[in-house]
Amino acid sequence: MPRSLFMTLIVAGLAAAALGYGWSASSSAVTGPGTIRLTSREISRTRIDLGRPGRGVGDTEIVKHNLFNLRLRSKPLGRAEYVCTYTTSFARACTVTIFMPRGRLIAGGSIRYNDVYELAVLGGTRLYDDARGTVTVIRTTRRPRRHIMLFRLTG
Amino acid sequence: MSLSARMIAASVILAVLVAGGFGVLISAMSALDDAKQREAHSKDVAVAALALEKLFGDLVTGERGFILTGEQRFLQPWTEARKELDRRVLEFEQLSAANPEQLQRARQLSAAIRDYVLFYSEPLIEVARTNRAAARGEVAEAESKRLTDEIRRRFDTFRSEEDALAAASASSADRQSDRAIGLAVTGLVVCAVLIVLFGVYLARSTARPVRAVATAASRLAAGDLSTRLSRGGPGEVGELTAAFNRMAEELELSRAELESQNEQLRQSERRKSELVRIVSHELRTPLASVLGFTSVLLDRDVPPEEQRHYLDIVNSQARRLSSLLNDFLDAERLEEGELELSPKLIDMGAVVAEQVQLYKGQSAKHMLDAALPPTPLPVHGDPNRLAQVIGNLLSNAIKYSPDGGTVHIEAEQVDSVIRVSVRDQGLGIPEELQQRVFAKFFRGDADVSGIPGTGLGLTIARSVVEAHGGRMNFESARGQGSVFWLELPIAANGP
Repeated sequence: MPRSLFMTLIVAGLAAAALGYGWSASSSAVTGPGTIRLTSREISRTRIDLGRPGRGVGDTEIVKHNLFNLRLRSKPLGRAEYVCTYTTSFARACTVTIFMPRGRLIAGGSIRYNDVYELAVLGGTRLYDDARGTVTVIRTTRRPRRHIMLFRLTG
Repeated sequence: MSLSARMIAASVILAVLVAGGFGVLISAMSALDDAKQREAHSKDVAVAALALEKLFGDLVTGERGFILTGEQRFLQPWTEARKELDRRVLEFEQLSAANPEQLQRARQLSAAIRDYVLFYSEPLIEVARTNRAAARGEVAEAESKRLTDEIRRRFDTFRSEEDALAAASASSADRQSDRAIGLAVTGLVVCAVLIVLFGVYLARSTARPVRAVATAASRLAAGDLSTRLSRGGPGEVGELTAAFNRMAEELELSRAELESQNEQLRQSERRKSELVRIVSHELRTPLASVLGFTSVLLDRDVPPEEQRHYLDIVNSQARRLSSLLNDFLDAERLEEGELELSPKLIDMGAVVAEQVQLYKGQSAKHMLDAALPPTPLPVHGDPNRLAQVIGNLLSNAIKYSPDGGTVHIEAEQVDSVIRVSVRDQGLGIPEELQQRVFAKFFRGDADVSGIPGTGLGLTIARSVVEAHGGRMNFESARGQGSVFWLELPIAANGP
């Protein structure tokens, strides 16, 4: 399948998910070719202290987000699950599974600051099979922790 | 169509064409104005785009300043730009509304700026308030660069498109200007050509015919009355040429009449001269006889028998003089149309018989043979004048038969007329002279032949017959004698 056509299908799927199946897109979710914007709210954060007591290398953190489009509806449209392993006292290597109605997206990478980070979209299942790109996440509020997730899919 | 109507029609057509030309010119000028307005609008849009880009630059600058320093004062440009943003975006979109594609680009650009502010700039500033390191980290910086690059790329695209539109408008304005100038020049040339053609038409339809009339009038004034103009021409010109031709014809007729009258005057003059000559000649002979014989009678002692003979001659010559004077008077009356008749019912046979009887003894060499019907031949006429006519015919028959012979006189009723004919065996009349036999003072070869007369007898005779409603003519051939005849209408109730 041509790369451009595949990217179009991915974006269409995300847009359809966001609009038709309840995935939250912000006021203008589609900001350009291959760009989707969602909002998320952290619902749980669990840290498993595996090394020396306190946060340190080897600790594992599991974070769950609900994904929203608050302008359209207040109920969650999907969810994201982070599984992170601390590589330093504050940096983590994370794998994120984003659950969407028509499949899943898988993203991963290093997170230094929780407030602003960027992950690579590594692939996906079903409609998002072989998806590529990045997702940039910026925190908007601290309590509760909310983020804007900006997907830039290139293929 | 008359000339004036043609000229009016030509003027109207010319005016319509000129008005049409000006209409096209005005349309071209209007299009030029529109193109200039589009060009000016493009400049306004470009200015609005630059203002919005500057505002966006203030947003980015303020945001970066705050993130880098953490000082609130560096956020001031961002705060002010944030307040201005909605108004400027609205203004920008409104100005871009003239072109749908640019409007779409403007809306996308506005949305990108709003998204930048709402989903990047504001959250990042919020992050910076608590975690400045995260806000100025490479991820934030890269994201900022991506977003601002994208927005600036959109600005570039929008501006380049607007520049292209402005250039197209300018080019269109130039084209419209060239077109307007071209149309104006073409219109002027066409109008000039039309005016020249109109002038040529006027010259051909008016000036040329008028010049032809003037030339013909000059020729006419110079005496060439046969001058005519060729018929035709539009309307009034045709009427002018027709009137000129009528005038020339009238002048030619008048001149012909004048010439005819002159000729008649000359003829009259010649006739008077002839009359004087004839009168002198005709009167001289009997007067000479009268004078001669009376002198003899007075001067000599003449025997009585001879006296009587001389007195008979004097008497005869006096009668001849009287007859001549009567003829002249009659000719004069005929000339004046004052021939008087005293008509009454008479027997034409009796009139003829009386005249035959009178002329029988006048010539020993001639014999008068009268053939008259036993019944009366009634006509309504003047007996003296009709007797004068018959006497003239008999006298001529005798005079123009110098060798003698028989003169046949016949009177009869033929249908509704009384016909009298006098046939002689005399000289006859040559064919070339026959047309003038009844003309006054015409005597043919009589002068040469020494035959006396005035040349008035036949003229008077024919006039008398015609005054009675009849006609008179003759048949003759040289050397074969002549037949003179007259016909008078028969009277309704005979005597």
